Amino acid sequence: MAAFAEFLPYILSGVVWTLGLVAGGIGIGFVIGLLMSIGQIYGGEDIKAILHAYVWFFRSIPLIVLLFLFYFGVFPATGFKLDPLACSIVVLGLRSGAYQSQIFRGAILSLGDTQLLAARALGMSKLRGIFHIVLPQALRISLPGWSNEYATMIKDSAITFTLGVLEILTRTRYVAMATHQPLIPYFFAGGLFIVLTYAGSKIVNTVYERTKIPGLVGRL
Amino acid sequence: MSEKKSRRGFLKTAGVGVGGLVVGALAGTAVAPLIAPPPPKAKWADLPPSGSTIIHGMDAAYPPFTQIDPSGNAVGFDVDVVNLIANKYGWQIVHKPWDWSAIITAVQSGDLDFVASGMTDTAARSEIVWFSVPYYSYIHQLLALVTETRSRDDILNSGGFIACQTGATSDEWATKLLAKGYKFQKLGLDSYELAFKAVTDGRAVAVISDSAFTGPLFKTQPDVAAKFRVVSTIGGDATYGYATRPGDYGLRNAISHALEDIMATTDWQDLRDKWSV
Repeated sequence: MAAFAEFLPYILSGVVWTLGLVAGGIGIGFVIGLLMSIGQIYGGEDIKAILHAYVWFFRSIPLIVLLFLFYFGVFPATGFKLDPLACSIVVLGLRSGAYQSQIFRGAILSLGDTQLLAARALGMSKLRGIFHIVLPQALRISLPGWSNEYATMIKDSAITFTLGVLEILTRTRYVAMATHQPLIPYFFAGGLFIVLTYAGSKIVNTVYERTKIPGLVGRL
Repeated sequence: MSEKKSRRGFLKTAGVGVGGLVVGALAGTAVAPLIAPPPPKAKWADLPPSGSTIIHGMDAAYPPFTQIDPSGNAVGFDVDVVNLIANKYGWQIVHKPWDWSAIITAVQSGDLDFVASGMTDTAARSEIVWFSVPYYSYIHQLLALVTETRSRDDILNSGGFIACQTGATSDEWATKLLAKGYKFQKLGLDSYELAFKAVTDGRAVAVISDSAFTGPLFKTQPDVAAKFRVVSTIGGDATYGYATRPGDYGLRNAISHALEDIMATTDWQDLRDKWSV
């Protein structure tokens, strides 16, 4: 236990890396997911088919396979030499984009056509109606689903240990070996993930409570 | 009508599933050559000049050869040896931890310049990386709890789990033994540490390890040593070497010469004593 205590700061500093992975992945995924959801609902048939294939691709392949595929295959072959952290963030973002697009798509569809029709009746362009009328409401509705994506992402980020990204799990493995105590470090890492998941979900829920439109969803 | 619809839905789903598999297989075959990693390019065909930055790949989960200290710095027997080599040539060394299962791929792709982390210079690995002169020899062992009274063959034919480290030479030995007809189940784990724990926890009847790991482990952890006995050795002596990228003559030769020089000094034994290897 005393040996493990010496390594505590080392494991704790992995939280910064984990949060970096999650923030980067969620951020990239948000941009991709939002644009894709608009394309999936308002785009032409060709765009819908392409976006469907994208979603299908990233939702069908295990994350570890995607990481290896992009790090050792796609990026080097296309001339991009990303370091393990940058590659992991991009892959997490591309994958999250596929999932987030479905969250936003569901939220937009739940609003129905009437909001955009009303915007059009007021003289707004279709694009303006989407960005000023539909999305502000849809984003509020999507927040609960989005907090699930955060919880999933924070746990998925641990798999980047395979590329040597120094996030929580990677550091925990090293400490477990250095101290010859596998159990305590992994218990501690599990606790860290619980705290991070709970705190993040709580923040998203608080944002949801503060921004929700009474009567639009849930109770008044 | 609804039955017809549901049948059509099932056929559609099944069609998409089968079609997806076929398209995936075809696309994978077609795309694989395009996205395959480019062949390794030699970076250090000549002796790396003084001041060069050389990236040392290591499995930070392989004490006492390569591990980390409480500050997160790389330490261990191999780390000390690499630092001595770097001092000799005036290189700047970056010790970079990497997952063992992908460490050779990282050397090939140029993310690492060489691996010094208790890597056995097997024939299969020698086809894809170039090894330095060997610097450490060991032997594989089958270990079980001291309370285990069965013979080697009885344990290997017990049908129980035998633990090993995935991707390590112990994993290769487990596969070889299974191919030879022994009847046990392989339990591949993330590290030797966990493989030993599987035995003490009763999840495996024995562990295949190597003396390079068990020697230092038993010296530093007498309580663990008291629980185990070596049932038998497996195969002949094996050796560790430092792995470089194919074509990196300069780096490989420099490492080999430096290793021979260091091994000829008293520093070598001092290092072995320091790390109990």
